[in-house]
Amino acid sequence: MELPANRRLQLTILSFILPLALWAAVSYVPFLWHPLVHITDPGESEFFVEGMDIPRADFQKQNADLIAAGSKPAAGYRVNPVYFPAPHKVAAAFYTAFTTPPRLPNEPWLHESLGHSIRTIFFGFLFSSLIGLPLGILCGTYRFFSRLTEPFVEFFRYLPAPAFGALCVAILGIDDGPKIAIIVIGTFFQQVLVISNTVRKVDPALIEASQTLGASGWRLVRRVVIPAAITDIYTDMRILLGWAWTYLIVAEVVGTMSGITFFINQQARYRNFDNVYAAIGMIGIIGLTTDMALAWFGTILFPWKRKIRRKSHAVPVTMTAKQNRGEPLPEGPFPVRAPDSFTSLEPPVARDASARPLET
Amino acid sequence: MLSPLELPDYRLHSPEVAARFARIRERPVVLSVRNLKKSFGPPGQEHVVFDNVSLDIRRREFISIIGPSGCGKSTFIRIAAGLDEATSGEILLDGKAISGPGPDRGMVFQGYTLFPWRTVKQNVMFGLEMRGKSANTAESTAREWLEMVGLSRFEDSYPHELSGGMKQRVAIARALANEPRILIMDEPFGALDALTRCKMQSYLLQIWKKVDVTILFITHDLDEATYLSDRILVMGVNPGGVREFIESPVPRPRTNEQFLLPEFLSVKHRLDELIHAPTAGTEDEEDRLPVIKLTAAGDEVE
Repeated sequence: MELPANRRLQLTILSFILPLALWAAVSYVPFLWHPLVHITDPGESEFFVEGMDIPRADFQKQNADLIAAGSKPAAGYRVNPVYFPAPHKVAAAFYTAFTTPPRLPNEPWLHESLGHSIRTIFFGFLFSSLIGLPLGILCGTYRFFSRLTEPFVEFFRYLPAPAFGALCVAILGIDDGPKIAIIVIGTFFQQVLVISNTVRKVDPALIEASQTLGASGWRLVRRVVIPAAITDIYTDMRILLGWAWTYLIVAEVVGTMSGITFFINQQARYRNFDNVYAAIGMIGIIGLTTDMALAWFGTILFPWKRKIRRKSHAVPVTMTAKQNRGEPLPEGPFPVRAPDSFTSLEPPVARDASARPLET
Repeated sequence: MLSPLELPDYRLHSPEVAARFARIRERPVVLSVRNLKKSFGPPGQEHVVFDNVSLDIRRREFISIIGPSGCGKSTFIRIAAGLDEATSGEILLDGKAISGPGPDRGMVFQGYTLFPWRTVKQNVMFGLEMRGKSANTAESTAREWLEMVGLSRFEDSYPHELSGGMKQRVAIARALANEPRILIMDEPFGALDALTRCKMQSYLLQIWKKVDVTILFITHDLDEATYLSDRILVMGVNPGGVREFIESPVPRPRTNEQFLLPEFLSVKHRLDELIHAPTAGTEDEEDRLPVIKLTAAGDEVE
């Protein structure tokens, strides 16, 4: 059952707030986890150094030993491991990661890394789609092409794209070539199958109807099959673009590590885990915003999919009565609805009657 | 308690009706079906849907096909539309054997089959565009047809914004805009509610009267067949084929008041006899449900 709009919004927000709240709780409420002790004063301990993180059990044992020996105990406070930064640190990293210059002069800034990744995805997906989209449509439309290509494609898609890494480097060098190739390999074969399936699902009644209206051959494909499938193809492409992102991370470690993967690895090596989380979060945000932008763009491209159209076609009641010369309007429980309600699936019978065609 | 009505013989035609049929018989044959047979399965154990179907449909006749489910009436008109192939026999349109679907045989389906990505006007323009008409010609022709079915104000709406009856009117306009020789309609009003269906029947008769088109109409509704048709082709199952080709004694023009005419009732009665005739077998057993009595004795409803 569909929920009311404001309830849907509430739940959407809640779906983000719940994991964030859990994260905040584990980060800020000491007794929930905080398995380490951050040493602020090593006391007279021989092992402890200021700034060190020690497991709690070890800290307590050492302190017990120190007290028993009459020495000054160490002091510290409970912390989470360094790989589990608190929300505010990660939030700050979303900004500071961009403003922090790279440690080495030849390393890219974060925005350069992100730009590199987006470029790799774009070309990978573009090259895959240039062939995959037409081939998928062809396979979905004609049995001939389906039999000719799909069995092999079906086999090939089980070959994991990363397995081609070494091969791609050998053929295409160590720069962007192999990375784009891996995204193409990861996307293309799925794309052909998914798109051809979508095209096959076009309502055969629509195709038959168009045939009785004189459509055939290539015009049937161009004017009926493609438009009938295009909205679902568009959705498929959005999902496939999401998959391309998962191949990106694999692709970027092939050859010279590059893009956002390079940044994440580098930051993990420096133990800047707040930057690591921020970078991972950025991938999610870029993916989600791209998808939302594409979804919005879809409503521009495909106006017939819009459920609500502001433009009103309903006619004022006075005109309805005037047009309705021969037959009286049906009486009874058929409200002449206001223009706003025009989008309902079953328009009121009164409107239907108002549009009667012929004089008897 | 009233006794059943004494109905006249449905084959008795009044002089006016007889004269009308005589005039129809002088018109040229548009669609001619010759020994049509459709069967499935390998030779030897084939399942015959229908066999020996032969008939002539003349220009501007209104023919209904009626029959129980499984009698192959839909298969028959799909063959006529070129969407299916006959096992043997042939169908001639204006004397030429048909092969494959074509714009000379317009089709209206129960499921509307409007193109959801096209506006109402663009839907009507589709066939015209396929025939190579210029965009301007197609558009003005489409407008005329929408005017004809009373949907001018909705020309820029998308199909999903229309009611069922309106969608079917667009589908009729779309088929007729192509100026087909014959309009084939497969239970076109089957998905509509009773009130809308009634209106659509009257619209269809009005359109048919003004347009040079022959109509082949499939229905399972006895009233609908009797109300609309000149002749009614009754098909049966086991064996499949034509049971009877009834020439309707109901005079034209048709009106709602005719539903209680003796001629109307006699045709309907005959159709009922033909369609619900007990075929050899176990139909009675199937009709009786094994429902256990769950009410107290004496608590009877009839």
